Amino acid sequence: MNRLTHGFFKNAIRAWLILAGLLVILAPRTTVYAAFGEDLEKPKPEFTREGNMITAKLIPRAKSTSVSIHFTVSGGRLVNVEGMDFQEAARPGVDNKDFKSELFTIKIDGVPPGGEAKVSVTSDFFSSSTEYWIFNRNLKEPWMNADAKNISLPDMVQELLVSVKDGGPFDSDGAVNGRITLSGGPKDSFWGYALGTLFIRFFGIFLVLSILMIGMILSGKIFQMIDKKKAKREKEIQVQPEVPAPDIQPTEAIEPELAAAVCAALHLHFSGRRSGAASSPSITPAVSPWVRQGRERIMNARSIPTNRFNRLQNR
Amino acid sequence: MSWDQVLELIKSILLTQTGIPNLDIGQVIMILISFFFLYLAVAKEYEPLLLVPIGFGIFLVNFPLAPLMGFTEHGDPQLIQAFYKYGVQWEIIPCLIFLGLGAMTDFGPLIANPKTLIIGAGAQLGVFITYCGTLFFGFTLKEAASVGIIGGADGPTTIYLTAMLAPQLLGANALAAYSYMAMVPLIQPPIMRLMTTPEQRRIKMRQLRPVSAKEKLLFPLIASIFIILLIPAVAPLMGMFMFGNFMRECGVVKRLSETAQNAMMNIVTILLGLSVGATMQADVFLSWKPMLIFGFGLLDFIICTFGGILTVHIMNKFLKEKMNPLIGSAGVSAVPMAARVSQVEGQKADPDNWLIMHAMGPNLAGVIGSASAAGMFIAMFK
Repeated sequence: MNRLTHGFFKNAIRAWLILAGLLVILAPRTTVYAAFGEDLEKPKPEFTREGNMITAKLIPRAKSTSVSIHFTVSGGRLVNVEGMDFQEAARPGVDNKDFKSELFTIKIDGVPPGGEAKVSVTSDFFSSSTEYWIFNRNLKEPWMNADAKNISLPDMVQELLVSVKDGGPFDSDGAVNGRITLSGGPKDSFWGYALGTLFIRFFGIFLVLSILMIGMILSGKIFQMIDKKKAKREKEIQVQPEVPAPDIQPTEAIEPELAAAVCAALHLHFSGRRSGAASSPSITPAVSPWVRQGRERIMNARSIPTNRFNRLQNR
Repeated sequence: MSWDQVLELIKSILLTQTGIPNLDIGQVIMILISFFFLYLAVAKEYEPLLLVPIGFGIFLVNFPLAPLMGFTEHGDPQLIQAFYKYGVQWEIIPCLIFLGLGAMTDFGPLIANPKTLIIGAGAQLGVFITYCGTLFFGFTLKEAASVGIIGGADGPTTIYLTAMLAPQLLGANALAAYSYMAMVPLIQPPIMRLMTTPEQRRIKMRQLRPVSAKEKLLFPLIASIFIILLIPAVAPLMGMFMFGNFMRECGVVKRLSETAQNAMMNIVTILLGLSVGATMQADVFLSWKPMLIFGFGLLDFIICTFGGILTVHIMNKFLKEKMNPLIGSAGVSAVPMAARVSQVEGQKADPDNWLIMHAMGPNLAGVIGSASAAGMFIAMFK
């Protein structure tokens, strides 16, 4: 039974792995795309007006933080700017992902009939390759490049300058009436951005880890050098001819009880010195080598738990 | 009270206060899916620490009217919603898991052979290729990034990035990441054999140099300086990871280190598993996207394995002392499973070849590499 279950399980896993692979290869792209439904990243601009300038604040597609886009007009009066749903302008071959900051309808009046106004759209979100595309539903080919001038300003701000003629192809109302309605938005190549940044970021990981590797190799060399020096020093100490230790022998044979009493007396003497009159000046009494050796052993034994080096080694 | 009134009351209770009439086919399917993952975890011991809470989370949340993943009428989160909101949505739990992982990790093999860091970078190839693939299938940039990171084979990183960029895919991504991590011994060996010759698999690597305690102590500081300076967006993950490791290596906060490794890690794992499982409600999960995510997750793992081995082959062109290309597959992270797979495959070619410690280097580099990839994505969408 167990073998049967095991076999079934193994085959089920294999089947799943094959199925998962096939799913990626065979899934019809269009069906899948349609099934995904709502546009999760649809920007929702909020507009504020300050004098002749209208500012749209929005979270663009593929971003988590908001950006500001400023609209001003010369050669006319900026009446209003409002957001435009991409669905209204959706046409085959036009991908809403290319319009990261959504579409806008800009309304201008006070233009001399048949005259020209210049619309300036500035933001630090634009790049030097950002274009401005116009949508005019009254034309046979409604989408067109406005051939906006892309001007680099200080603080990494880019300005898109669009010239639009009253009653011209960019004017959605189509009439020579001193009023212009301009629909469209800034366009960046989605795939260009996606693949470009992908390439840079993949090699960015190599760069970051290579820098870390170099740092680690260097620090490793330094540590190895220090360890080598230390080992060499220790070796030298070991190689030095040992000074024959004085043969410490008890001057006379004593009874164990007497030895214990002497030790206890020594202990009391030194503990009294430590805890007692720290301020009272005292002179270290001369001690015999035998006592000094004993004291050293006691101190070494005592220092083991607080010795950091030992702790690291024993961990 | 008349008999009719009693019947009406019973009917009202049945319809509004019990789950039975509200149970739909989608929820039944999800409960069956939860049984499948619980079976994988319990019977097959596939990542049981994560799949048990995830499986149980799926199971619980798919009962109709259960007050677990919603909000009360006062707007307060219900039980698992609270875990999710404060733990996952606020991006706390994945960072705490990284803290625990740091406290568990011995970076010795990586410090002894820093060259393996490059393998960890090469093994991120799948992350970026899958990112492109998912874009082609209509995923948004943020969704594509969160699906791509599955190939990094690092659960907390996947959850962290997905919660930040595409929370609607959290359940599917986490489940795909942990399932495929558990399937590493099934997925990797055929690719490893395909990309290496028997001679290459028999390459023996020199024993790693001993690494002093001081070196291990300084590593988290040095690594933090380099990584956080270059990719500040990864500071929450990498900072916690290195902090956990520093606690381990300094030796003076043994209690804290042990708590991070054991008690804290266990608590956050339970909360994370339940929260992630609870995001998989029938109406969200039963669609094309999770299916595609599972497909792409597999592709991602395959390409990451391929990328790691390919990186070793390229490095061997320039190195005097050749590396065994089998350790390249460990660059996908999945610590320590991927390193064990390298060891097993190496021993199949030569029973005297011990690759495990050599494979731990790229394995740990994979953790740093996938966290760096996540940081790159976060920075991209800022």
